[in-house]
Amino acid sequence: MAREKIHVGLEIGTTKVCAVVAECRRDGEVRLLGVGESPSRGVRKGEIVDFQNASNCVHDALSDAEERSDHEIKSVWLAVTGSHIESSNHRRSVTIEGGGEITEKEIEDIASKDKEVSLPKDNDILHSILQQYYVDGREGVIDPIGIGGSKLEADYHIIHGVVNRIQSTIRCVRKIGIDVEDVVVNSVASAQIILDDQKKASGVVVIDIGGGVTDYIVYHNGVVRQSGVIAIGGDHITNDLCIGLRIPITRAEKLKIEEGSASLENLSGAEKITLKNDTGFSGKEIDRSMLNHIIHSRLHELFGILRNRIQDVVPIHLLGSGIILTGGCSLIKGVREVAESVFEVPVHFAHAQSVTGPTSAFDNPQLSTCIGLVKYAHAVDTDYPQESFLNRFINSITRKLHLI
Amino acid sequence: MITYPRYLAGQSETQSLLIALGNAGINIMDRLIAQTAFPMESLAINTDQQSISNTLASNKISMGQMTTHGLGTGGDPEIGLDAVKESAGEIQRAIGGKNIVFICAGLGGGTGSGAAPLVAELAKQNGALVIAVVTSPFSFEGRRRAQQAATSLREITRFADAILHFENDRMAELIAPHAEVGETFSVCDKLLFRAISSLNRIVTSHGPIPVSLPDMLAVLRHSEDSCLFGCGEAAGEDRVHHVLETALRSPLLDRGRLLHDAGRLLVHISGPSSLSMEEVAEIMKEISKNLSPSAMLNLGVSVSQDHSSPLSVAIIGRCGGEKRATPTIKASTDLSYLTQSAPTPQPASKPQQTEAPFFEIPVATAVHPTEKPAAPKVQQPLLPLDPVTRGRFDKIEPTIVEGEDLDVPTFLRMKLKK
Repeated sequence: MAREKIHVGLEIGTTKVCAVVAECRRDGEVRLLGVGESPSRGVRKGEIVDFQNASNCVHDALSDAEERSDHEIKSVWLAVTGSHIESSNHRRSVTIEGGGEITEKEIEDIASKDKEVSLPKDNDILHSILQQYYVDGREGVIDPIGIGGSKLEADYHIIHGVVNRIQSTIRCVRKIGIDVEDVVVNSVASAQIILDDQKKASGVVVIDIGGGVTDYIVYHNGVVRQSGVIAIGGDHITNDLCIGLRIPITRAEKLKIEEGSASLENLSGAEKITLKNDTGFSGKEIDRSMLNHIIHSRLHELFGILRNRIQDVVPIHLLGSGIILTGGCSLIKGVREVAESVFEVPVHFAHAQSVTGPTSAFDNPQLSTCIGLVKYAHAVDTDYPQESFLNRFINSITRKLHLI
Repeated sequence: MITYPRYLAGQSETQSLLIALGNAGINIMDRLIAQTAFPMESLAINTDQQSISNTLASNKISMGQMTTHGLGTGGDPEIGLDAVKESAGEIQRAIGGKNIVFICAGLGGGTGSGAAPLVAELAKQNGALVIAVVTSPFSFEGRRRAQQAATSLREITRFADAILHFENDRMAELIAPHAEVGETFSVCDKLLFRAISSLNRIVTSHGPIPVSLPDMLAVLRHSEDSCLFGCGEAAGEDRVHHVLETALRSPLLDRGRLLHDAGRLLVHISGPSSLSMEEVAEIMKEISKNLSPSAMLNLGVSVSQDHSSPLSVAIIGRCGGEKRATPTIKASTDLSYLTQSAPTPQPASKPQQTEAPFFEIPVATAVHPTEKPAAPKVQQPLLPLDPVTRGRFDKIEPTIVEGEDLDVPTFLRMKLKK
C-alpha cells in the first residue's frame, strides 16, 4: 500500500513540546506513526520567553518523533496560541456584475477582502473562516455559485494575532532547520479532530485547558461563531497551590497531578495529605479541603469567564452538543462537575475521532491539538493539492496580479 | 430552619453574660461598666495580662498563659486560637449555666478574631443563645486585618445565633468625620453598648407583643451585611416624640435615611405600664414613614410594672436587603409623605431642637432623590500591594480580564472581595 502524504503537527506548549507524525488517508482517517515529546522550558502562557531553551526543546521533541516514526521531518504544521490572539465576526459584500449570476470570481473576490478588515496595527489575520453567504440579503445560502442576484454578502470569522509574537514561535522552529508549512491556532486545530459535522451543526464548545492558556472555540449551525484564548491554565493552578499551601512549585505541580481534585463533595474537613520530605523540602501535611477549594475556585472562575464570552454570541442552552473539554487540565478530577455547574449543559471529554495508531496517544487530551494539526493539514491539502505554503502564497499573488 | 432553644420555653429566669474578647472588646465593656448601671454579668477574656488587670469586669480570664506568656498575640489569629484552646476549660466553666451569651469583640486583631469563633462554639455547646456583637476594622488598618476579620466573621456565623456587625468605617464616617478621635470611639462604644442592652431586653422581657426568637434571628442572621441600629429613651411629657427623635437620629440610621434600604426591621418598644396603644401606634407610624414599602416589619412591645421606667424604642435592621424599590417609586411615595407629615403638630413645650429630624427626611429625599446614598456600605478598594501573590508569573505579561489580574490566585481574590 502506497503511503499517503505524511504530515507533522508541532505544538510548543507551556508544559511540553509535542510533535505528532501521522498520515492521513483519503477517507479522512488519521493514522499515527509516532509521537515525540519533550518537557517544555522557556515557554510561559503559550508564548516563548526563553528562545534558546525553547528551541532546544523543539529539537528534542522532533528528533524523538523522527526516531519513533522512522520518518525524516522536513516541515511541520505549527500550532500557535497566546493571549494576543483574538477573533471577531465581519460581514463583507461584493456587487455582482455581468449577467447577475454568481461565479467563482465573486467568491474569490469576497474571500480576498481580508485586507479590508480593520485590525490593530501589529496584528495580522491567521484564519479567515467563512460562516455563511447572503444573496440579496437572503440568508442560509450554502453554495452561491450559479445563483442569480445583484449583491453577494458573506459573514467571516476572523482570527488574528500580533505578527511579531507569532513570528518568534516560527523562528524557534526555523532555527533548527525545519520549515513551517503554516501556522494554525490551537483551538482551530483541536476542533478538527474532536468535532464531527453533526456536533458542529448542533452547536458545541471546545475548551482546551492547557498548561499556560485556555483555548476555546464555539460552533453553532455548523460554523465557527466565536473563538479565543484566555491566558489561564494548569500553571495557574500550580501557582495557586504553591502560594496557598506554601509549598515549592515543583511539589505543587506533583501534588496537582497526583492528588488534585476540583470536587467539593464528600470533603470531611479533616482529611490530610502527607507530602513526603524531599531534598530541600521537609515534609508537610496538607488539608484536602484547602487543596480542593483552591483548584475549584480557579476552575470555577475560568469557566465563568468563558460562559460570559460564549453567551455574548450564542445562548449556551442552544448548544446541542454541549461542552467538550480537552487539554492537560481536563485530567484533573472533578473538572467536569465544576464545568457542568457553571454552564448547565452536558460536559464531555474529548475523544479523538477517526484516529488509529498507538491507543495511548489519541486518548491523551494533551495531544488533541497536534493530531488536529495533521487533520487540518490534510484538509488543506485536499483543497489545494500539491501546494506548499510558499506556492499557495505565490499563486494567490499571481491570481491577484491577474485581476489587475 | 430555626429551632427554639429549649430553655426559653419554660424557664423564666434568664441569665445573661457579656463576654468581652481582646483589647477592643474589653475597652467597650469598660466604658459600659464605668458609664452605666450594667444589667448583666461580665467576663473579660484577653491574652494581654496588662489589659486584664486593669479591666472593671466582674470576672476575668487571662487565657493562653503558656502560649503567649501574657504578652498578647501580636495580631496573629492563630496564636489567639491556640491561646483559647489552652484555656477552653476555664472559659467553659465561666459560661456554664448562662442561657444568653453576648460576645463582644473587635475583629481584625489576634485575640478577637482568633478566639471569638471558639468561644462562640463553647457557648453554643453549653446550650446558650449566642449573640455576637462585633466590629470590623477600619479600612486604613490594612488588608490583612480586614481579611482576618472577614475569616473570623464567617467562622462566628457558624456558631452564633445572631450577629450584630458594625463596620468601623461606616460608624466613623456617619458619626462625624471631623470629631476628635476619642469622641468618635466613645460614640462607637456607646452604640455597641446600647445594642447589647436593647438586645438583652428584647430577649428577656415579656409583654403584650413579644418578639419571637425566630423573628429576631431572621433580622440578625446575615452577618455579611452590616446592621442598622438606633435606639432612644425618654420619659415624661411628649415622650413619644423625644424617643423617636433620639432613635432615628442615631448615626447608624443616617437620620432615618438608611431605613429605606432595610429589608427587615425589628422595632421593640418597652415602656411603663402607662404606655398607651395610641403611643405605640404613633411611634410605628413615624417609623414606617421612612421604610421602603416592601420592608418586613416585626414589632415587639413589652411593659414593665415599674411606673417610673422610661419609654424606650430600639430599631434593629439589616441594610443591603434584597428588596430595593426603584428610586422613582421612592420619590413619589416620599412626596405623599411630605404632604401628610407637614401638618403634624409639633410639641410646643420643647424649645430645643423642635425640628424633629424624622420630619426632615422625606423632604430631603423627595427634592434630591438621586442624592440619596445608594449603598450605605463604604468600601474602599485596596491596591494590591502584596508582591508575592503573582508567584511564578511575576515577570511576564499579566492576564487581565475585565480589570482583574487573574495571575493572582483566585481564592485570594475571592476572599478579599467578601
